[in-house]
Amino acid sequence: MRTIQIVLNAILSKNIFEYILVDTNLKVIESSQGVERYLGEKPKDGDDILDFIPEFVGNEEEIKKIFIKRYCLFTLETVQKNDYYINISIEYCDSKTAIVLLHNVTAITINQQNLLQYSNESTLLYNTLNKVINNQNSMVFIANRNKMEFANHQFLNYFDIPDLEYLKHNDIGIFRLYEHSLNNYLELYEALIDKENYIKINQDSFIIQASKIEETHILFTLTNITDISSKLNIDPLTGIYRKNYLNDIASKILKDNEKFALVVLDLDDFKKINDTYGHQVGDNILKEFVKLVKIQIRKEDIFARWGGEEFLLLMKDTTPQDVKHRIESIRTQIDEYIFDVVEHITCSFGIACTTKDDDIDSLLYRADKALYEAKATGKNRVIIKID
Amino acid sequence: MIRKKILLIGDFGVGKTSLIRRYIDNTFSDNYLTTIGVKISKKRLSIDTIECEILIWDIEGATPIKKIPHSYFKGASGAIFVCDVSRGQTIDDLYEHINSFLIVNPDAKYVIAYNKIDMLSNQQKESLKIKLSGNEFMTSAKNDENVKNLFETLAKEMIL
Repeated sequence: MRTIQIVLNAILSKNIFEYILVDTNLKVIESSQGVERYLGEKPKDGDDILDFIPEFVGNEEEIKKIFIKRYCLFTLETVQKNDYYINISIEYCDSKTAIVLLHNVTAITINQQNLLQYSNESTLLYNTLNKVINNQNSMVFIANRNKMEFANHQFLNYFDIPDLEYLKHNDIGIFRLYEHSLNNYLELYEALIDKENYIKINQDSFIIQASKIEETHILFTLTNITDISSKLNIDPLTGIYRKNYLNDIASKILKDNEKFALVVLDLDDFKKINDTYGHQVGDNILKEFVKLVKIQIRKEDIFARWGGEEFLLLMKDTTPQDVKHRIESIRTQIDEYIFDVVEHITCSFGIACTTKDDDIDSLLYRADKALYEAKATGKNRVIIKID
Repeated sequence: MIRKKILLIGDFGVGKTSLIRRYIDNTFSDNYLTTIGVKISKKRLSIDTIECEILIWDIEGATPIKKIPHSYFKGASGAIFVCDVSRGQTIDDLYEHINSFLIVNPDAKYVIAYNKIDMLSNQQKESLKIKLSGNEFMTSAKNDENVKNLFETLAKEMIL
């Protein structure tokens, strides 16, 4: 007992440990002065330890075995008592005495609690955000320059990807689906800035949008418009209007007796491209061609796909000379542009300007006739039929 | 006097501390403060003239990376398993918590609290109520719904 007392005095002097000595019936024999701050009051000799350390309730028999085994494995960590956090353990002293040690761990526990609080709140927020993203109708993914870091459930399901880990190690290169020449997601982002863009994946059409969420990370959304596009008369491959839509607009303008020009555009020898390089290359050419034309036309012009490699362009508020000049400029651009894979292709143009009794069919007939003439006279040229 | 140890077990943030505060002090706070380690509260009860003291262990909740230490389970006569009806994962995790506890205390009694029902509409409450069995309770520490019933049903199970 004398040795224990010396050891106890040494550790108590550092104000970290307090103790209670108990007998074989777990009645208090003696306790250190500082236990009061944890227990509310200092136990008196003969008090039941369970009244002060209720943490022992349910484990009384195990604790009493200390007097037979001479050791005890009972330890409780991080117990809150009176605004303090303590570790409680019980050790064998002699055949009639055991010592309950109360180890003050308040400082370290409060630091741990702050960390745990932050971690738990972050987990809750993360889970909520995850649910929000996974409940979007759109496919969402986040990519750095070269690979995807995150994708929502809709994305994983659509591409039949088992989980995020798989995606991180097996990038599917969405940027290449948008445009063959792109090398990474940063280039895709730059291609998408400030524009409404379309991408065709499998048989589906999507609006693709991008925004930077960090200097290194970009958020992409893909909204499936396959059903909507058919309702809205949008061509799923190129994202421009279908002929029906242009027809409706043209009929309305004709009814209002407004003048305009109708241009038929037809890529020269396109069948050869499909036959030589395949339809995938053919589709990419059509997308590149549409992109080139879109850059050069005005906002109010209506550009539509007729079918195959044939396109229509409706231009209001223009004179025959002006329209000829504009279309000639487009023809030159296409002629000089280096396309992916095939490098060089050309386009022929037939233009018809409205006359007094025109309807859409008569106008289209004349434009088509002009196109025929352009083709028959060597292709890669612009022919205009004013009446 | 009979003393019994019970534990509140569940994922973090499901409202274990709030249920205890409502039961012991009849108070509630909307502020979330993570419990670390364990804190014991005492409640004296008289069940069919039997005087008893329930020692309620409020232990820190399980997180995806930190499970509840089994050392806390030893010597328990009962447990209240708590989930948050607004977080489906906490309901899914109940099964694992119950299993872990019963491995240590196979004879212990337990009840289940579907907490935070104040966040549900009346229709949602009705459809949940139909699915509940005898030892399962819809509770709200915020609105003081079923809290006393929850604790005292478990106490009766343990004492009688």
